Amino acid sequence: MASTGAVAALQAALAAENAAIFGYGVAGAHLTGSSQAAAEQDWTAHNQARDALAAMISARGAVPAAAQAYYQLPFRVHDAPSAIRLAAYLEDGVTRAYLGLVAVSDQRLRRFGAMAMQDAAQRAASWRGSTQAFPGLTPLVLLALLAP
Amino acid sequence: MLLASAAALPLLLGAAGCRSSDVFTGPDPLAGRPPLGHDVLTLQAAIAAEENMIDLYQLAISGDSGTSRARTLRSLLAQHQQHLVQLKARLIVPPGASASPSPSSASPSPRASTVSITRLRAAERASAADLVRRLATAPPALAQLLASIAASDATHATALGG
Repeated sequence: MASTGAVAALQAALAAENAAIFGYGVAGAHLTGSSQAAAEQDWTAHNQARDALAAMISARGAVPAAAQAYYQLPFRVHDAPSAIRLAAYLEDGVTRAYLGLVAVSDQRLRRFGAMAMQDAAQRAASWRGSTQAFPGLTPLVLLALLAP
Repeated sequence: MLLASAAALPLLLGAAGCRSSDVFTGPDPLAGRPPLGHDVLTLQAAIAAEENMIDLYQLAISGDSGTSRARTLRSLLAQHQQHLVQLKARLIVPPGASASPSPSSASPSPRASTVSITRLRAAERASAADLVRRLATAPPALAQLLASIAASDATHATALGG
C-alpha cells in the first residue's frame, strides 16, 4: 500500500480512538469502583494512542482528523451492564480499525497495528469476560474465506 | 518445421543459442518445480505452530478433565481449532509439494503431566510474538488473519492468568 494508504489507515485508527474516548466518557459515568477505575485506565490508554497516531499522521505531512463533537452510541447506555457492553463494543471497533494498519506495506506500521490490536482485544476480553477466536475480523470475512 | 513436440523444444532452443527463459515470460517451465512462495511457507509454519498448540491443550485437558479449569481450556482449545481451519483454508500448495512441514525436532511432544497452565501461557505468548514476526513476509490479507490470531493468543495468555 502506498503512503496515502498508510495515512488513510492511520486516520481510520485515529477515528476509532476518538470514538472510544467519547464512549468511555459515557460508560464511565455509569460505572463505580473497580469497573470505573478500569474504564479510566482504558480511557487514558486511548488518549495516549490518539496522541501517538496524530503524531504519526503529522510526521507523514498530513493533518490528523479532528474528533467529532458527538458520536451516536450503538445502544442506550443507562446502567453498569450496558456501560460494560459499550466498553467491549468500543474495543471491538478499535481492534477492527487497527486491522487496516496491518495491511499496509510499511513493516513498522504493520507491527504497530498488530500490537495495538492485541491491547484492544485484551481490553475487550476483560470487559466481555471471554475471549474471541478472531478479534477484529468479522464472521462474514471468515465465511468468505471458507467458501468453495 | 512449424510443429515441434515439447520434448524437442530444448534442443531447438539450444541450437538457436537460446535458453527457454529467453522465450517464455514468467516461470521457466523447463526449470523444474519453483520454490514455495513466502506466503505458503509462512502459512505452513503457522499451521504447524497451531497444531502444536492444539496438541498441548489436548494433553493438558486429558490430565485435568472435569474441572472448571478444564472447561476454560476446552474453550480456548476450540478457538485454536478455529484458527487452524482458517489457516488451512488459505493454504494452496502446488501439486507434488508437501502440504505441511515436517515436525520440528526442537519441540518434542510433552507428556500430559508436563503441560501446566504456566507452560500453556508461555506458549500463547510465544505464539502471539511469533505471528507478529511473520507479518513481514505475509501478503496483506494473510497478515490480517495472522494479526487477529496473534491478538486472540494474547487474550488467551491473559485468560490463563498472565
